[in-house]
Amino acid sequence: MSITLDQVTKRYQGSPVVNDVSLDIGDGEFFVLLGPSGSGKSTLLRAIAGLSGVDHGRISLHGRDVTHLSAKERGVGLVFQNYALFRHMTVADNIEFALRVRRMRAADRRQRRQELLRLVALEGMDERMPGQLSGGQQQRVAVARALAHKPEVLLLDEPFGALDAKIREELRRTIRQVQRELKISTVLVTHDQEEAFALADRIGVMNLGRLLEVGKPQELYASPATRFVATFLGAANLILARQTKDGIRFGKTPVSAPAPGPLHGAREHEVVAVVRPEEVEIAATREDLTSNYLTRGTVEELVFTGALERMRIRIDDGPDAPPLSNINSGGPALLEVTRTQHEQRAFEIETGQDVTIGVRRIHILPTPLSSFTTCATSESLAEALVQQPLLAELASRMKTRVSTRVEPKLGMPNAACETPSVFSGTTVIAAHTEVAYQAQWLLQRGAEEILVLPQNAGPPQRVLIHWADESVRRATLAVSASILRHVSAEAIYIGILPTQTPAAQRPHGMRALLDARSEAQAVHGLEMRTELRFGDVSNELARQLAELPGQMLILGIRGNKDLAERFGSLFADAHWPVLIVHREHEGPSA
Amino acid sequence: MATLKQPSVLPGFGLTFGFTTFFLTTIVLIPLAALVLMTASITWHDFVKVVFSARALGSYRLSFGASFLAASINLVFGFVIAWTLVRYEFPGRKAIDALIDMPFALPTAVSGIALTTVFAENGWIGQYLQPLGIKVAYTWIGVTVALTLIGMPFAVRSVQPALLEVQRDLEDAAETLGASRFYVFRRIILPTVLPALLTGFTLAFARAVGEYGSVIFIAGNLPLKTEITPLLIVIRLEEFDYKGAAALGFVMLVISFAFLLTINLLQAWGRKRLISRVR
Repeated sequence: MSITLDQVTKRYQGSPVVNDVSLDIGDGEFFVLLGPSGSGKSTLLRAIAGLSGVDHGRISLHGRDVTHLSAKERGVGLVFQNYALFRHMTVADNIEFALRVRRMRAADRRQRRQELLRLVALEGMDERMPGQLSGGQQQRVAVARALAHKPEVLLLDEPFGALDAKIREELRRTIRQVQRELKISTVLVTHDQEEAFALADRIGVMNLGRLLEVGKPQELYASPATRFVATFLGAANLILARQTKDGIRFGKTPVSAPAPGPLHGAREHEVVAVVRPEEVEIAATREDLTSNYLTRGTVEELVFTGALERMRIRIDDGPDAPPLSNINSGGPALLEVTRTQHEQRAFEIETGQDVTIGVRRIHILPTPLSSFTTCATSESLAEALVQQPLLAELASRMKTRVSTRVEPKLGMPNAACETPSVFSGTTVIAAHTEVAYQAQWLLQRGAEEILVLPQNAGPPQRVLIHWADESVRRATLAVSASILRHVSAEAIYIGILPTQTPAAQRPHGMRALLDARSEAQAVHGLEMRTELRFGDVSNELARQLAELPGQMLILGIRGNKDLAERFGSLFADAHWPVLIVHREHEGPSA
Repeated sequence: MATLKQPSVLPGFGLTFGFTTFFLTTIVLIPLAALVLMTASITWHDFVKVVFSARALGSYRLSFGASFLAASINLVFGFVIAWTLVRYEFPGRKAIDALIDMPFALPTAVSGIALTTVFAENGWIGQYLQPLGIKVAYTWIGVTVALTLIGMPFAVRSVQPALLEVQRDLEDAAETLGASRFYVFRRIILPTVLPALLTGFTLAFARAVGEYGSVIFIAGNLPLKTEITPLLIVIRLEEFDYKGAAALGFVMLVISFAFLLTINLLQAWGRKRLISRVR
């Protein structure tokens, strides 16, 4: 491995900008770090170069631990977005800079410089000043300069950002050629997914300081694991579907799609389906469709963009309509579709036309969190919950929808649900002293994830994770990973042993802790710290939560009989949000 | 005219150019011409007698020598101050930034009196320097201190914007290429801010040469020793020797002009090396 990052964390004014990133980059690999601005990708690159230190974790280059070495000692090649050429020096002096520093002989320097200029196709430009070159040429000089001292690693920080489209493509090709020729391990940072696809052997997608997914471009595009990657890497329609024992259904329409995993228990539950715009088929009638029928809709917007035709289709309302995930209650449900010239010729359409919609390929996200439903005893209370900052923030970051549900008898023992439909997604209730009974009431009537929201809680800085039963470990970890992809917080797993645990049993507790950590890392890509406590579970958790503001608890439990008795003290006058993950039946073992 | 015309945000090249010429002529050229004319009206013999008298020669040496020294001090410390203000965030930075301009705002006589009070033999600082055998007030050192004070804002304010331009990226790039901090300073930072440093030096020097108010209090004004040329001119004027004063003024004009021209040429030469078509 040429670059190894192990749990690298970098904080800025207390909050993590790079959050527990672990990554291995192979010899000669072209790795692209992709993410929106502020995702921490540039900070991570600077940390690899040694220009900024890390607060936690280790960085090794070619097996050598360089965590505490300065940039000068690491000697990587770094290329900046704004070229950062020395403007008072000629091209030759710029390229020879690293060689001069190393006191190389003039003749050797000249020879190396000629080699490099040939490599970047700038022969004969030696005596020009940077100001006399075009932007593309300047960036080529910068690449040559970064390679002069034969670094083992080349780092590129948005190198095409300041260039126009045509030159961008040309330079992209040059960089790819140079990289192949030298077989140098390369990390490129960009926010442009097209660039990532064009260059990368592997792509790592970052958001909110976390490395969400790593994979080959085709794999990441075809089967993303997270909704962020699904929507950031190309366009995607997120549709809420149901997984039943007979397969996946959109509304009432069954479709053929591989399920993300076995159903836990016999109940059906809500899942998030990704449908790429190019996988949508448009036809006049259901009989003309060659793929899965989805629904009917009206063409709302039609844009011709040369090779492709883009359109947005409003899905007809109706009880059978599949709910699009990325809509807020009230907004129109618009499906994004692109069609090739060939498809356009086969079936010409115009704005306002009614069409039948089918889908060719559906990918179901393995995320356990689909949508949110606020639940309260009256409509106004349920509506008020929708406006709560944490929920609004989560829903917007997850591009999912929040619906409301009114249960006048919420929490009353032996009262049945008013609404006949099953609980789908995460049910959200307001925190108050009796909330544990309401949660238990909901659990007994089929809710699986319950978010207890205190008044005005914002996105947390720390998320504590605990499960009361080993059989719900997997589910709790999956939910935690899903939440943590959308908030910039550190994750801490709290393992709690009874105070009177005999000393001989303690190593066993430690083992369970470490197992949990490695499972989180391996299965969900979730990096978390672990802490072992002794004492009563409920008290210990409450104590931990009360210690600092801005914390949240994710609590995994099995069985719904004794939530109020066992964890009541956690909810009484709590000012921290708690997400309860409940599984009745034993989940499949990991 | 057509070749001089450049599209510009300000309308009317003719109008602005005319105004520039008119303004420079009335404010700068005509008074200077009057000085030259006045000097021309004295005989060559008298001119040499006035201009090359021992007292005059002594005053040139002090005026230009102390000004050069003061500008050099400002060059170094002005750079350090500007660097601190640009590169570091610390409480009170804004206040210190504002403090830099104080010598601009104070009547120069006030700075002179203040300096004299502090550096006199029984002053706050002077009393500690006295036992060390260092006399500041009423010597050439005092003159230099006063000239340093009034020139300081020029040096700092010229370098500040140039330092803002030296992007962190340049230093980062040099560091990844293996350069030490000193190497980065010598080969990257210094060459980039050199034109601005020279400007600051020139302005501080020019200001110091012409300074009168703050110096006369601290200088002691002993002929041949601590008498600056502007003071000598004032003395000549008080003796109603207008022609002698004009002759001395003419000499200052020539030396200053030659000096400023040299530095400007140096800068132009340096800028040509840095010329950039981009931007």
